[in-house]
Amino acid sequence: MALPKMKLHPQLRSCDQLTIGCSKETERLVADPAPGISALPHDDNLRYFDVIIEGPGGSPFQNGKFKLELFLPEEYPMAPPKVRFLTKIYHPNIDKLGRICLDILKDKWSPALQIRTVLLSVQALLSAPNPDDPLATDVAKHYKENEADAQRVSQEWTQKYAV
Amino acid sequence: MTDSNATIPKSPPPGLFFAGSDDEDEVDDENIPLNVETRSPSIPTAPQTPSTSRSSPFNEPLFLDDDDDDDKNMNIYEEEDNVVPQKRQIFDNDSDIEIIEDPGLSRKKQKKIDPEEVTSSSKEKKDISSAKECSISFVSDTPTSQVIDAFMPTYIGELVVPNAWSTVSGRGYVKINDSIHVKREQQNYASSDKAEASTSSSSKKKTDGKRQITLSNMLKPQPVKFNNSKKKKSDTIVRLVNNKGFEFGRLATDTSWWIAKLLENNIVEIRGVMTDCPEKLTTGASLIVTLHMYLIASAFKPLKRTFGNDDPVHLGFNEGLETEEETILRERKQAVVKMFEVLGLRPQAGANVQTNEMSHEENLQKLAKRPVRKVKEIVGDDEEIEVDDSEELTKNEIDAIYSRAQHNDRTMAEMEPSDSFSLTLRGYQKQALRWMHSLETGTMDAREASSMHPLWNQYAFPGEPIMDGETIDLTAEEKPFYFNPYSGELRLDFPRAERNCQGGILAAFRTVNQRKQQTSQPASATLVVAPTSLLTQWSEELQRSCKPGRMQVIVWHGQNRQDLEDLLECDEDDRGNVIKVVVTSYGVLASEHAKMDRSSKVKSPIFEICWLRIILDEAHACKSRTSKTAKAVYALNAKRRWAVTGTPIVNKLEDLFSLLKFLDFKPWSEFSFFRSFITIPFLSRDPKAIEVVQVILESILLRREKNMRDQDGKMIVELPPKEVIVEELEFSPLERKIYDSIYLSAKKDFERLDAKGLVSKNYTHILAMLMRLRRAVLHPSLVLGKEDEEHSTFPQDGGKKVTINELIEKFADGEQAGDGNSSAFVEHFVTNLSGNDLAECPICFNEMEIPMVIPRCMHQFCKDCIVSYIGICEEKRQVANCPTCSEGPIKSTDLVEIVKKGKNQGMSSSQSSDTPVMLRKNDFQTSTKLDALVRNLRQLREQDPCFRAVVFSQFTSFLDLIQVALERERFDQYRFDGTMDVKKKSAAVNEFKSFSRKPKVLVVSLKAGGVGLNLTNANYVFMMDCWWNSATENQAIDRVHRIGQNKTVYVKHFIVSKTIENRILQIQKRKTAIVNEAFRGSGKADPESIQNLKIMFGDS
Repeated sequence: MALPKMKLHPQLRSCDQLTIGCSKETERLVADPAPGISALPHDDNLRYFDVIIEGPGGSPFQNGKFKLELFLPEEYPMAPPKVRFLTKIYHPNIDKLGRICLDILKDKWSPALQIRTVLLSVQALLSAPNPDDPLATDVAKHYKENEADAQRVSQEWTQKYAV
Repeated sequence: MTDSNATIPKSPPPGLFFAGSDDEDEVDDENIPLNVETRSPSIPTAPQTPSTSRSSPFNEPLFLDDDDDDDKNMNIYEEEDNVVPQKRQIFDNDSDIEIIEDPGLSRKKQKKIDPEEVTSSSKEKKDISSAKECSISFVSDTPTSQVIDAFMPTYIGELVVPNAWSTVSGRGYVKINDSIHVKREQQNYASSDKAEASTSSSSKKKTDGKRQITLSNMLKPQPVKFNNSKKKKSDTIVRLVNNKGFEFGRLATDTSWWIAKLLENNIVEIRGVMTDCPEKLTTGASLIVTLHMYLIASAFKPLKRTFGNDDPVHLGFNEGLETEEETILRERKQAVVKMFEVLGLRPQAGANVQTNEMSHEENLQKLAKRPVRKVKEIVGDDEEIEVDDSEELTKNEIDAIYSRAQHNDRTMAEMEPSDSFSLTLRGYQKQALRWMHSLETGTMDAREASSMHPLWNQYAFPGEPIMDGETIDLTAEEKPFYFNPYSGELRLDFPRAERNCQGGILAAFRTVNQRKQQTSQPASATLVVAPTSLLTQWSEELQRSCKPGRMQVIVWHGQNRQDLEDLLECDEDDRGNVIKVVVTSYGVLASEHAKMDRSSKVKSPIFEICWLRIILDEAHACKSRTSKTAKAVYALNAKRRWAVTGTPIVNKLEDLFSLLKFLDFKPWSEFSFFRSFITIPFLSRDPKAIEVVQVILESILLRREKNMRDQDGKMIVELPPKEVIVEELEFSPLERKIYDSIYLSAKKDFERLDAKGLVSKNYTHILAMLMRLRRAVLHPSLVLGKEDEEHSTFPQDGGKKVTINELIEKFADGEQAGDGNSSAFVEHFVTNLSGNDLAECPICFNEMEIPMVIPRCMHQFCKDCIVSYIGICEEKRQVANCPTCSEGPIKSTDLVEIVKKGKNQGMSSSQSSDTPVMLRKNDFQTSTKLDALVRNLRQLREQDPCFRAVVFSQFTSFLDLIQVALERERFDQYRFDGTMDVKKKSAAVNEFKSFSRKPKVLVVSLKAGGVGLNLTNANYVFMMDCWWNSATENQAIDRVHRIGQNKTVYVKHFIVSKTIENRILQIQKRKTAIVNEAFRGSGKADPESIQNLKIMFGDS
């Protein structure tokens, strides 16, 4: 007799409830998307989201539409969602595989955070690269040594891959 | 009735005693003249019809009863004596003396008045103290004795004894074909001394002539006297005496042992013929004699059973010992059985006839012989026998026993209750009423048991060979006779299966049944003895069942026990139709009895009063016959006795004995009798034992089960359905860790012991470990005591344990630093929260049912989310910060719960505080099971704002925790456990039952509340833990699911998966009965229970 893990996830906001229907969070996300961000769950796997983030204005990623995938692990919201860029991007905190270096996706995760806040944070990361905490070390080096040139490359990549 | 009443000059307010509805008296009055008519003519002709004997049992009591009612009856008859002169004689116990002797019949009427018999029957009369109406049928079956006295010695067979031997030397003592006397007692003749000494006696006298012996001297006062028989018991000499009265020889011991007993007990007359002997006798010469056996009248004399001594003071002193009279009876029985065997007499009808004859013979022998050995064993070592497993009854056996008592219950007649009864009875209840009424009054047997008493066999007298020209008047040769191979009794009249006590056992599923009983019998006091916890309920139910003013219920319990006699007397002037009922407890009874025991001066009214009726509720409370309670119960005086119990046989046949003893159901109320004829045969797997019990029960037991059906095939009780759900829960990681560590160490312990083969020696230790595990499933704090810090090791994670213990400690401390702020919080949050009921938890996005606030930053979360978040962080050894603002670190103990009042309930009245919001520290450690309970109750509250639920647990310490949890949830809750006194208990139940729009929860200890309580106002049951046998659990559930319940009953069992609880269920399925015994903590281990332990610690 399999029963939900009562203690660990007393009020599952988006995991097991997803199997029944849209969770409150997903519902809101879809109904009231954050500007420049869209996230849609897969029909066959409600834990899996297709995400598109528009590059923030004033950044080298402006006008780009970046595809991401977002996956809610079983422990969510006690554990952070897994997020990855699918679109190639030239950014010191995002590596070739699209992995993102963002503290709230790791040790600074809090269950009070949401998909929306995570994606907003990712969007903010595009505006404010942080080469001091790099994931793609060569890009970070480029940004540190010659930020303007680096931004140019970022812009080129955006034009090339994200439009 | 009323006519005779008017003639009575004496006795105070007569009218009161003869209220029109007092059926018993009416019945008696009607029956008595009737009996006189049927019996009087029967005396000379001595016909045997069942009808004459049938009517007897309920007549005798009148004269044995000193109670006012019956005194009056007695007077009536005395006045009428001149009209019906024989009446006195017939009803007098001493009627033996006055039996009319018909000279034509009694040519050989040797029957003299047996002095012993006279004394004993008058003693009987004296002894049967005022109140005993029951149980005399064996002793004074008046019409039977008439018949018996008319009975002529009747031939039943002959045997050849080839190995008699001579005690004398010389010629002329005896010759072939001489008739000889066969005697038991020593002769008074001068020569007998010599003969006895077997020395040379030279007197040679030949007898001649073939005279029929008269046996009058044989039948002189006989050894019923105990002292006498005690001496005689030592030898079994049977002497052969010639016509001149000289003893010349003896029977060899292999025949003499039983012939001696037959003679001693006046069962047979033996007419001997010398078949072969040497012409000149020498000492020790072998003689061949033929013995013709004749049953004589005295054989059919009812057996004297003076046991079951009616003087209450002597009760219980020699229980378990075989009394002398028991010995006599047993030997008598053996002798008769042996005689029948030797003579080749076979029963025509009756017990075991249908079975093959060999086995029947063997049975008889087995039964007859066994007691000699066995009883001694028991006397020597009672305790050993008591724990003997073979005495335990299996469920099937118990069912088999009951089945007979129930087989024709469906068609039993019904009876309407009296008009003072205010409730409506169901059909089966009316049946029960009829049954009880007929038992009390003796009018007729509701079950119409007219078949032959199963203990008896019918035998035919064989035709007698004509003896040497002597013809014998065979007046009764076509008549069969009856023999009881169990008691050794012989009878001429038809042994109808009969009942001879007023009262019985109601194995009903309780109470409702007998209430109406009182109402149909006004004007006398009834005593109800019940477990303490049920006193209030009894009193309430009684009041409820009766129209106002028609019943007075006195609860006689506690410190202020009033003078019972006053209470009962003063009211007699008021109204005759007030039914008085005294309700008391077993405890009071026992202590009153003990008081009386200590000093003979103290007389407790409760034992002095002769009650009209005594009802024992949950009568199995006195199942141990040696307990104080049981002795006290036996000492009560009453005319009518009832025992109400769901389990007349708990697990041993002897459980039944105590009830029979109370009911005074003779002869079974004598322990040694019961033991000899029921327990011991049962131990030797004799199916007859069960049959005997069945017969007993058939006449006195009415059993009702919930699932029984009436004659139309409907359930006799239409109970609403019961839905049982087992909810399997998962431990929190922390609980799992604690549990596993305890389990592992227990398992290691067990395996170590098992490897060394020491399991059975350390059985109690293992049971203790199991107990700990079972507690651990419920709540960690039930096992994390100080000792655990020493004993249990937490592998790989010592820190976690400390955390838990710290938590527990802190919870215990209660108040903590930071409390000073709380008033500020209240201020702040009251304004913040009171308008904002629908705050959303930032973690789960749901409305916060139990919001908790982090004092540091005032951020709120729902309790479940924040507590588990903190738990997870601790698990990962991370510092937990506020999920919203990352303020930290936070601990779950810091959290403050916001308790909103009146959110779901309309509970505006009771709360005195005006603040709509209250804060409470998170100072309570919950557990999986508690959470589950609380969650269920909350859901329930949503669906049904005024639900009633009962929560059972076997651990009172867990009950404490449940209460705290319920308190926190603001449920109105009440508690019922064994430590509370009666007042508190009944207060708890009353409050739980009282009307309210709020939900109520009653927390009950499984052991204290598992029996008796009536909680039909609730329809939700939560079982927090599982007991070793499901029967106990079911009984607990039946507190709610029982008559009176009109809603569906929902039962929820909480089981934590992958714990000992699964295994308990596993074992429950495996073999309920044995688990039941094995884990009761008796300290002994059998292979089965060790096997069970292996399941417990197995890896399955």
